Amino acid sequence: MADTFLDSTELVLNMGPQHPSTHGVLRVIVKLDGERVIGTECVIGYLHRGVEKIGENRTYQQFAPYVDRMDYVASVSNGLGYCLAVEKLIGVEVPPRAQAVRVILTELNRIASHLVWLGTHALDVGALTPLFYTFREREDILNIYEKYCGARLTTHAFRIGGLQYELYEGFEDEVRAVCDTILPKIDEYEQLLTGNRIWVGRLKGVGILTAEECKQYGVTGPMLRAAGVKWDLRKAQPYSGYEQYDFEIPVGQNGDTFDRYIVRLEEMRQSVRIIRQAVDRIPDGPIMGKVPKVIKPPVGEVYVSIEAPKGELGYYIVSDGSTQPYRVRVRPPSFVNLQALDKMARGALVADLVAIIGTIDIVLGEVDR
Amino acid sequence: MRKLLRTIFLIDLIEGLWVTFHYQHPKYRCTEQYPAERPKVAERYRGAPRLNTNPETGETLCIACNLCALACPEKLIVVSSERNEKTRRKELTTFTFDTSRCMFCGLCEDACPVDALELTQDFELASYSREGAIWDRQMLEEGPRPTKYKF
Amino acid sequence: MPEEQKADGKPVQRAAPPGGKPASPAAPKAPAAMAVTPWESDITGMLKQQFGDQISEFSTYLGQNFLIARPDAVVPILEFLKLEADFDYLVDVTAVDYPKQPERFELVYILYSFARNERIRVKTRIPEGYKPQSATSVHLTANWLEREVFDMFGIEFAGHPDLRRILMPEEWEGYPLRKDHAITEQDTRWVKENLGIESGQ
Repeated sequence: MADTFLDSTELVLNMGPQHPSTHGVLRVIVKLDGERVIGTECVIGYLHRGVEKIGENRTYQQFAPYVDRMDYVASVSNGLGYCLAVEKLIGVEVPPRAQAVRVILTELNRIASHLVWLGTHALDVGALTPLFYTFREREDILNIYEKYCGARLTTHAFRIGGLQYELYEGFEDEVRAVCDTILPKIDEYEQLLTGNRIWVGRLKGVGILTAEECKQYGVTGPMLRAAGVKWDLRKAQPYSGYEQYDFEIPVGQNGDTFDRYIVRLEEMRQSVRIIRQAVDRIPDGPIMGKVPKVIKPPVGEVYVSIEAPKGELGYYIVSDGSTQPYRVRVRPPSFVNLQALDKMARGALVADLVAIIGTIDIVLGEVDR
Repeated sequence: MRKLLRTIFLIDLIEGLWVTFHYQHPKYRCTEQYPAERPKVAERYRGAPRLNTNPETGETLCIACNLCALACPEKLIVVSSERNEKTRRKELTTFTFDTSRCMFCGLCEDACPVDALELTQDFELASYSREGAIWDRQMLEEGPRPTKYKF
Repeated sequence: MPEEQKADGKPVQRAAPPGGKPASPAAPKAPAAMAVTPWESDITGMLKQQFGDQISEFSTYLGQNFLIARPDAVVPILEFLKLEADFDYLVDVTAVDYPKQPERFELVYILYSFARNERIRVKTRIPEGYKPQSATSVHLTANWLEREVFDMFGIEFAGHPDLRRILMPEEWEGYPLRKDHAITEQDTRWVKENLGIESGQ
């Protein structure tokens, strides 16, 4: 920095991998000039499990539980993306009932993921209380998962071709009840945070990423929308029947951390809107498409992506005609978004770095795979 | 002017504090006191595996078809069987299930044609050794015997 | 294990199937080659004019367009698509390993255009040891994505600003996503050396 008047040397600071605000095992090597960040370097891979290699050694059905373990706070979205990719590869039509249920569960998952993000992000920035409230509301959603498919976190809720489980009795009412409770709770979070001077002071103007920079870095999801780009894969390339539902894409203007917060809160409200529409008209019918017992896609390749809570989640699957995929590539949103950390953090204060890491909404399981 | 007054009287902070304060009421309490309070898990919960037996005769329902072992992504189920010369049927001899590697995806349960293998609502699977996490046929049929704690 | 068959070479040229439809899932035997149909649009016209025979194929499979280019033409194609056709978002860079073929790796670049709402895959085949040009000069995203390809496949990108391992530890031997990489063997050895016990794998 040019405006330092004290003679200071650069300081290299190691943040993580065991740091409460790095959301897992992210290690950031920060170069500091006083309080200012003049460069960062991410060291990742601590959670690398070789998911793509595992995929090459499992059958198509067997790989489905593993994808849940990438972005583990949004496991249903991962499963949806994978199932859609394989379904496209084998040309299976998913029945409308299964599609509607998938939409409901995925949108609930988006709310749950954003709730985790809000709680932890607020915790990083210094607001301790929201964490307890967001996790309380998330509990309601996880209870629905538990009742529906028997697991809370890594759900394995969908199967290739549709659903394994029929809806349990009272599913619709419970989903409606969650929708009804979550909306006032979101207002409550706003009451806690949006007007709070400390919160605004910590977030406004921090970690700015313009629309142009977002595109250059391949940043997607709420971060891109906060920069003012009205782009959502659910609208741009609808999948699983999203074209039937009426919802808005919230956008921000400044592309800073505060706008991302507003965009994510608004996204939760829009998710509630989608869920309410979907749950009112779940069609009757089968829940499983015509899928052969042994899935053997023809030789070919496919890239299918969905709008996961973090951004564009893509699956590139190459088939060689056998029961196992020849290559499964996952395009993780967190991994690509994390790359923009250096751009956002340069020139910021070291305390803001925590807010910036939080705002990317990374899940290290997905970054490292 | 209004903004200034709000700033001086810390209205924005008090609004937030009010949200926190009104949750002081005991009726909003939502913490469960595990293990004194047992959580009730859902009917479809995928927990400890169990090998079902016929309740009347006590014979196993498993037909040793090996489908669960084939469906398992972690390949942690080992089924061995013997051909009974009298009835000319395959009969189950041993069945091991390595719960330490299990991720409770439920694919084995889905694959079972006779509903013999089931993932139950039991969720306490901790054991003192790695060997203890490998369940044999007896344990799968009768269930684990955890230490009972008193409170 | 079907590994042997999987690694088996597939002919690079692909014939359009009769009727131009992808094989149905119920087909008893999968065809040996990908059943593609030719792809023609204004983009292909522009690319043909600009690059001529450097692009060997324009195809569509399951409604997804891709082109196969010569390795040295890939970065100019990405740049051309970015500047002339608004393909301003590099979604992904990845590779596929076919160890039995002379041109062992297939590099795949997935592009998206916000203006057109379209995706294109740019593919190229490279032999082992070939150093393709890095795409970081065109798309900044390519930085980490190419590092990951290097990490997993050992493809070195020429002109990459910071080509190091990204997910695997620095001292890792070999490239895990190559088909011939023996993971269990390395794991067993590592466990024995570092922990002094037999690996449970």
